Amino acid sequence: MVLIGVIGLAILIPIALVIPWFPSNGSKQAGNVRTLYTVLLLTTIPIFVLVETVVVFSVWKFRMRPGDEEKDGPPIHGNTRLEVLWTVLPAILILSLCTYAYTVLHSNEASKTSEMTVNVSERQFAFEFSYPQAGGKTVVSPVLYLPKGRPVVFKIRSLDVVHSFFVPEFSEKIDAVPGITTTLRVTPTRLGTYPAECTELCGAGHSLMRATVYVVPSATFRSWLSSQPANSAPPIGTPPSSANQAGVPGAATTPTAGASSAKSAAPAGASAAGVAGGKTVFTGSAACSSCHTLGAAGATGTIGPDLDTRLRKDCATAASKRIRGATLQQCISTAITSPYKYIPSGFQAGIMPSTFSHTLTSTQIQSLVTFLSSATK
Amino acid sequence: MSTTTIPQAAAPPQVKTRVPLPPKLRAPGWYRAALFSVLGLGFAVGITVLIRWLQHQHPVVDGSAITIVGLFSAPLGFLVGIGTCDYWLHWAAGRPTRPEDHSGHGAHSWRDYFRVNTDHKVIGIQYTVTSFFFLFVGGLLAMLIRAQLAKPGMQFLTEEQYNGVFSVHATVLIFLFVIPVFAGLANFVLPLMIGAPDMAFPRLNALSYWLLPLGGVIMLMSFLAPGGSFASGWTAYAPLSTTMPVGQLFFSIGVQFAGFSSIFTALNFLVTIITMRAPGMSFFRMPLLVWANFSTSLLVVIATPFIAASQFFILLDSSLHFHFFDAFVGDHNNGNVIMYQHVFWFYSHPAVYIMMLPGFGIISEIIAVKSRKPIFGYRMMAFSLVAIVVLGFTVWAHHMFVSGMSPWIRIPMMVTTAVIAVPTGIKIFSWLATLWRGVLHLDTPMLFALGFLTMFTLGGISGVMLAMIPFDIHVSQTYFIVAHIHYVLFGGSLFTIFAGVYYWFPKMTGRMLDDRLGKWHFWMTFIFFNLTFAPMHLIGIQGMPRRVAEYASKFAAWNLFISISAFILGASILIFLYNVVASWRYGPRASANPWRALTLEWQVSSPPPVFNFDAVPTVVGGPYEYGVPGAVHGIFKAPEETRVAAGFTTPPSQQRHE
Amino acid sequence: MEAAAVTHAEHHGPPPAHRSSRVEAPVLGMLLFIISEVMIFGAFFTAYFFIRVVTHDPWPAHGTKLPEAVAGVNTAILLSSSLTIHWALTSIKNGNRFGLKAGMASTFLLGLTFLFVQINEYVHIGFAPHDTAQGTIFYSLTGLHGAHVIIGLGALLIVTIRSFRGHYSPEHHQGMEVPGIYWHFVDAMWIVVYTTVYVL
Ligand code: HEA
Ligand code: HEA
Ligand code: HEC
Ligand code: CUA
Ligand SMILES: [Cu+2]
Repeated sequence: MVLIGVIGLAILIPIALVIPWFPSNGSKQAGNVRTLYTVLLLTTIPIFVLVETVVVFSVWKFRMRPGDEEKDGPPIHGNTRLEVLWTVLPAILILSLCTYAYTVLHSNEASKTSEMTVNVSERQFAFEFSYPQAGGKTVVSPVLYLPKGRPVVFKIRSLDVVHSFFVPEFSEKIDAVPGITTTLRVTPTRLGTYPAECTELCGAGHSLMRATVYVVPSATFRSWLSSQPANSAPPIGTPPSSANQAGVPGAATTPTAGASSAKSAAPAGASAAGVAGGKTVFTGSAACSSCHTLGAAGATGTIGPDLDTRLRKDCATAASKRIRGATLQQCISTAITSPYKYIPSGFQAGIMPSTFSHTLTSTQIQSLVTFLSSATK
Repeated sequence: MSTTTIPQAAAPPQVKTRVPLPPKLRAPGWYRAALFSVLGLGFAVGITVLIRWLQHQHPVVDGSAITIVGLFSAPLGFLVGIGTCDYWLHWAAGRPTRPEDHSGHGAHSWRDYFRVNTDHKVIGIQYTVTSFFFLFVGGLLAMLIRAQLAKPGMQFLTEEQYNGVFSVHATVLIFLFVIPVFAGLANFVLPLMIGAPDMAFPRLNALSYWLLPLGGVIMLMSFLAPGGSFASGWTAYAPLSTTMPVGQLFFSIGVQFAGFSSIFTALNFLVTIITMRAPGMSFFRMPLLVWANFSTSLLVVIATPFIAASQFFILLDSSLHFHFFDAFVGDHNNGNVIMYQHVFWFYSHPAVYIMMLPGFGIISEIIAVKSRKPIFGYRMMAFSLVAIVVLGFTVWAHHMFVSGMSPWIRIPMMVTTAVIAVPTGIKIFSWLATLWRGVLHLDTPMLFALGFLTMFTLGGISGVMLAMIPFDIHVSQTYFIVAHIHYVLFGGSLFTIFAGVYYWFPKMTGRMLDDRLGKWHFWMTFIFFNLTFAPMHLIGIQGMPRRVAEYASKFAAWNLFISISAFILGASILIFLYNVVASWRYGPRASANPWRALTLEWQVSSPPPVFNFDAVPTVVGGPYEYGVPGAVHGIFKAPEETRVAAGFTTPPSQQRHE
Repeated sequence: MEAAAVTHAEHHGPPPAHRSSRVEAPVLGMLLFIISEVMIFGAFFTAYFFIRVVTHDPWPAHGTKLPEAVAGVNTAILLSSSLTIHWALTSIKNGNRFGLKAGMASTFLLGLTFLFVQINEYVHIGFAPHDTAQGTIFYSLTGLHGAHVIIGLGALLIVTIRSFRGHYSPEHHQGMEVPGIYWHFVDAMWIVVYTTVYVL
């Protein structure tokens, strides 16, 4: 039996170690997690092999042979020493694994002095990253740029439902929870382009809620950052109302336009209304392009109606005119702010986010309307 | 109830009150059930319209309000109509209760399975068959999932439909298959095992059963709801679920029915086990299946109210605009989103043990009988069950390591979670020791039991890995979790269920299952189960998120492989289906004790007589004394006269209700 | 069913089950059910805890106040109903039918009064469940308890009617004892609700 066990171990352990389990190792944290996993494999495979071996050996050795039909096994009721042994050994093993996991956790989550803060705000079905700058300004971007080697702390918020922020190469993730700010620490160690994913089911567009992470050399990062207009496009939604939230951008700059609620508008006037602005919102922060096709914006989404071919036709129907207003502008505006008032044929309610009226500013909505009414033919 | 044992004076004057057969609609049954369901629906329309009219709300007719009320009132109408409550209604009114003899007991033809029946054996079969129906429904939905995922990119389902499909898949399999099928098997064998003529509350038992198909119908009906079925996963996290179309209500309300069903069954098991054990059946002479159901029932009674509450919160938030989970009400007046997850997992973690402990019980029975040896370390086996129950309540937040809750909670939860491996390990090792030097009968029940031992160990070990927080942070919400789920639920629970069905089928139906087909079924399931779910560990660690309808093309090859294996796995169930249907009709007759087992259910005929025992047996030894020459567990002789003299002539449930 | 009853009338019943515990099955069943009920309240108190302590919303919400005094009187009313139902139980144990009837009737009326005061409080309290999270949890906890009072009153009503019809005897009174346990639970639960929601 020992032989079976040894053979099992000799086969399984090399296989387990050779399999490329993880995606490439992109951060300091990821390295620790990979080591932890190797340790877990090395401790648990023997347990698994032990169980298998006993089963296989018993089946081979103790199976009923012809003529044994009426035979019984020896009446062994137990063995205290054995029972103590298999209680205590796993317990020790478990507790040492926990201790080790705890140290990994602790070092992965330790804060560093040179940390850079990036704010992530998530909504159905888009990420938005913003970098607080000197003077209370922010740089806002739908993609994530990170300098290699610099510890980053992400401050993550959600504007509607629970989302999540996960970069497999970093081995770190945390949910974005409405009402609170969650924190994630990563030190990228490898140049490259990685996916960032929302891994918490958040509605129809969940599978499409993706963003791209670029880990670049520090110099590249600095020049990228300075090339970005600070406060160019307003962050979608607003920071939590408690202005003392450390590192939340715009907490100081947000004009509290008479609104105390967290749904209040983002910096007004920060956005240049008009076609260009509308296109930015469409492809960027509001992520309309994840669901709609629109040639003018290079969007190819297929979840919602193809705006190139459908929008004008749909808005011209009598029912739509009655419900969403007679002009194209009114129609689009209603379609964005209360999407289910009128459902174009072949589609369903409940898919297009119904929260744009408070996650987008009125300026942004206006710019979308301008953009869409000019972009569709 | 009993006409023979109740002193005549106390017996209600039932038989005399024979009136001419009332019209079909007045007797309990399907016609009256249909009528009452419609009445329930009418009530829903009436009351909502009335209330809205009184409050000057427009429009007066509101579809979703009617749906909510209707989803409660129509099923309740059905329950009253089919006759689950007749007895109590009569009793409450002080009227004679019917039937007082045992005409409602036992089944004489297949039609009796479609009626309200108070016989635990009939209910057990009703439960088991109904749950297996839901296994096929849930499995079919799994086939849809795999068809969608066979290739990257969108296939024939939309995102929303895909979300709906896996949500219903999980909900149906958890709430309508695994949990109730265990209740069903135990319903059949548990009273027999402890030497009781029936459950403690036979009518409550019938009610528990009838609640179940209602919950199932509600959940499946959600596909017809405008906006599609519920689509926020089986976890229904708020606030996504509070902003969903009406389909979500079908989950929230369906779960209530399934939940009440399991609470009532659990109460019944607990009371039965405590008050109705045969003489001599001390706690430490109970078969481990009884122990397992005792522990499970404790879990159900304590934990299930939490999911009921969590779904009430959802209902209130989404329909009456309460703010349990609304984080945007205004400064300092906000609800708490993470609270949902705490309440939900405080039920749903214990629920995973609700889905496993009865299986442990089944395996203990089978391994002892089929190895022809006593269970190794009986007492530790019983204690470890209790330890799992206790620990099970202290680990719920391991599902929330990445939820953003206070970070410190994670540490104690990690330790308690991992420590559960210790009592579970005790069980695994004791089973292994039971195999050791036995005479292993490798027939189908035993094969499934061994399959369970090996596969559950793997699933449990991946669970222990998940308990390690830094690793869980990496794999949480990825296919690694899906792999863990299926290794413990399919390789764990489902294997034990198959083992149990193969083992007790002769007792339940009086026919033998075909062992050759059974072995085919086992090997096909075992192989393709592994081919389906093992690769999920890998793609999970590589970063494929769960609950997505489309995925990055680098996972395409593995997903195609998984889908193909899954289809063959699905086909292997058809062998089982054929075996059961054919053997039930044409299989060879089963003898009373084909496995030469000692426990009491095998000491009566197959299927057992209507009242289980002519006289309650007396237990004189442990349940697993295989190999001990001449050992017996129970002997059958007339009940002790002293008991009768002491006034305990009727079982407590059957005394006059005054 | 009726026809079946006739055909099988000669059927013999099951053998009497062995009584393996001194607790009576209905009493035990009720106690276990009460554990479930306590857990339902536990879930609602979890919600209360999270909103009041974790989210740290002020209690009660700014600009609202809770009528502790009225609710206090109401508490006393409910508690006295526990005494009256106990009186009813001891009476029937001693064969005192008048005590049974009077006890049950007064219990029922006290419970009804409690419910009435509670509804009156809702009408005048000045905030609605959909105003704030605090309002949500206030109405949910008191409402959940109110629902239990209604169920309890339903049971009490049946028992009261039956006791006026001459049911129950010193030997057989489980039919009132079991609902009585439930009623005691409803009362005890109110003390917890009152203390956490109004007093603390
Ligand atoms: C039958 C159901 C069942 C069972 C029995 C278990 C058993 C266990 N589960 Fe699992 N679990 C689920 C069903 C189940 N689980 C489901 C459905 C989910 C996902 C829910 C969702 O999000 O949808 C889940 C998710 C889940 C998570 C959350 C992952 C995440 O979402 O991030 C975690 C984390 O700790 C976990 C851990 C465990 C552990 C430690 C056990 C332990 O009980 C296992 C113990 C057993 C063993 C360890 C094997 C035998 C022991 C030995 C041979 C002894 C020696 C062993 C060692 C020393 C290691 N499970
Ligand atoms: C007991 C529980 C159980 C069982 C048995 C199964 C069985 C299966 N499950 Fe499921 N599953 C879950 C519980 C279960 N699952 C849970 C809890 C989740 C999480 C959901 C969530 O995220 O919310 C999940 C999620 C889940 C996913 C992930 C979805 C996602 O995250 O996007 C996938 C993907 O492959 C999957 C696949 C399968 C497959 C292929 C089977 C196969 O084993 C099925 C085998 C097939 C059958 C059993 C029947 C086949 C029937 C026929 C072939 C026809 C016969 C029919 C008639 C005659 C009517 N399951
Ligand atoms: C998750 C997918 C999704 C996202 C994101 C999304 N939509 Fe939609 N959209 C839909 C669907 C589905 C419909 C059709 C059903 C409906 O009207 O709700 C729709 C309908 C519309 C219509 C009406 C089209 C017609 O033919 O009548 C307009 C205009 C529109 N969306 C604009 C937008 C804009 C602008 C954005 C971004 C700010 C956006 N959508 C984001 C899914 C989406
Ligand atoms: Cu956002 Cu999933
Ligand atoms: Cu768990």
